[in-house]
Amino acid sequence: MIGPDFPAVLAAAAAGDEAAFGLLWRDLQPRLLRYFAVAAPAVADDLASETWMGVVRGLDRFSGGEPAFRAWVFTIARHEVLDWRRRAARRVTELPVTGLIEPAAVDDPALDAVEGFSTRAALAQVAMLPPDQAEAIVLRVVAGLDVERVAAIMGKRPGTVRVLTHRGLRRLAERLGADIRVRRVV
Amino acid sequence: MGADDASPADMRRRSATPGAGPLPLDEDTLERLLAGDLPPHEAPPGYAEVAALLAATVAPPRPEELAGQEAALAELRAVTRARTRPARARRTGRRRRRLGLAVVAVAGALATGGAAAAAGGHLPGPVRNAAHSILITVGAEEPVPPAAPPAVRDTGPGATTAVPSGPGPTGLVGPAPGSPATGSAAVPDASTPDTKGLCRAYLATQDKQAGKQLQAVSFKLLADEAGGADKVLAYCQELLPGDKSKEDKHKTPPDDHGQGQGLGQGGPPPTTGGNQGRTRAP
Repeated sequence: MIGPDFPAVLAAAAAGDEAAFGLLWRDLQPRLLRYFAVAAPAVADDLASETWMGVVRGLDRFSGGEPAFRAWVFTIARHEVLDWRRRAARRVTELPVTGLIEPAAVDDPALDAVEGFSTRAALAQVAMLPPDQAEAIVLRVVAGLDVERVAAIMGKRPGTVRVLTHRGLRRLAERLGADIRVRRVV
Repeated sequence: MGADDASPADMRRRSATPGAGPLPLDEDTLERLLAGDLPPHEAPPGYAEVAALLAATVAPPRPEELAGQEAALAELRAVTRARTRPARARRTGRRRRRLGLAVVAVAGALATGGAAAAAGGHLPGPVRNAAHSILITVGAEEPVPPAAPPAVRDTGPGATTAVPSGPGPTGLVGPAPGSPATGSAAVPDASTPDTKGLCRAYLATQDKQAGKQLQAVSFKLLADEAGGADKVLAYCQELLPGDKSKEDKHKTPPDDHGQGQGLGQGGPPPTTGGNQGRTRAP
């Protein structure tokens, strides 16, 4: 979060100020990468770059506060994901399916430490949820958006986003709890 | 949601195990969990790990997550440059429009100044045609060099009484300052293209006395440059020596026989150079 300075930072960035733009970038780039790590892990870096291209080109037309700006950036990010999935779907007839799906890094040792997930391991756990649930959780938590904005980005009703979030978290709790129990038993 | 729907049965089994099964969260707890406001030890049974996991998803950035900013900055620079380019284009457009208006004004002045026969027919055409017609009227026969537009604009008033029979082989705009082959040391400091244009229009008149009838303002400009109304002729002949050398070099027979040629371009500069005309030190 940039906070009270956000309007000035945004205005300066839109005018081409690189220091101001850098503030926006450093605030949002890690969040974007983590969103893509869940939504399109194989191409996270590429999609983040594409997203920033879109942000830069539209920066002088955007108006709004910081939450709206974040929502706008993640709207662009989600479009990049959808575009990539469409392209991937077209290629699927030409490529072996195994090359398309990157298995999540479930073997990360940090996952074993209940109190100490690595970021990557945590995102990998989220990525194993059904896509809608994973996306709802990441947009709520990583992007830091409220239910209404997430609903707008995902093209769903807020109530649906709540249900997806509930289910995703319960599933995570089940899996993690089961994991712990298994380790207790073994 | 087959997998989801299967889990409640699974959950019931787990719920039978003391302290094991995660229960659905109430809204408030859910919001706190999502916002990171729910410490793992305060989490409901089964959600402590989830709280820790979510906290890890918003951990401080790792260095590799902050690499690659330069590409975005490069895009920012490119886009910023592209946004300023249309502004420059607009300014250029204004300049062109201004020039166009000036050319039209020149054409209008020509039409009312005695050269209507030559220029009038072209006036309805595009500005470019109008400019072309003016150039022909006052003696241009070659494509206008890049420096021409300002000269056309500034020569305009001086051309008002110019007679169609121009000097011919020379362009409206003379060689760039410093390029004349002869007498370059004698070229006045004020040999700017517009001054040359005024001179050329002046020299193009059939009668040097009539030249003094050039529109008062433009002639006054020339007279100021030359140091006096009676020195304009010498001044201009001195200013445009390159025209003669050019003609000589190309051996181009004049395709018109305006008297201006003889005095302005064809005549040897030395004859007028001694005529009290050297009003300015080189």
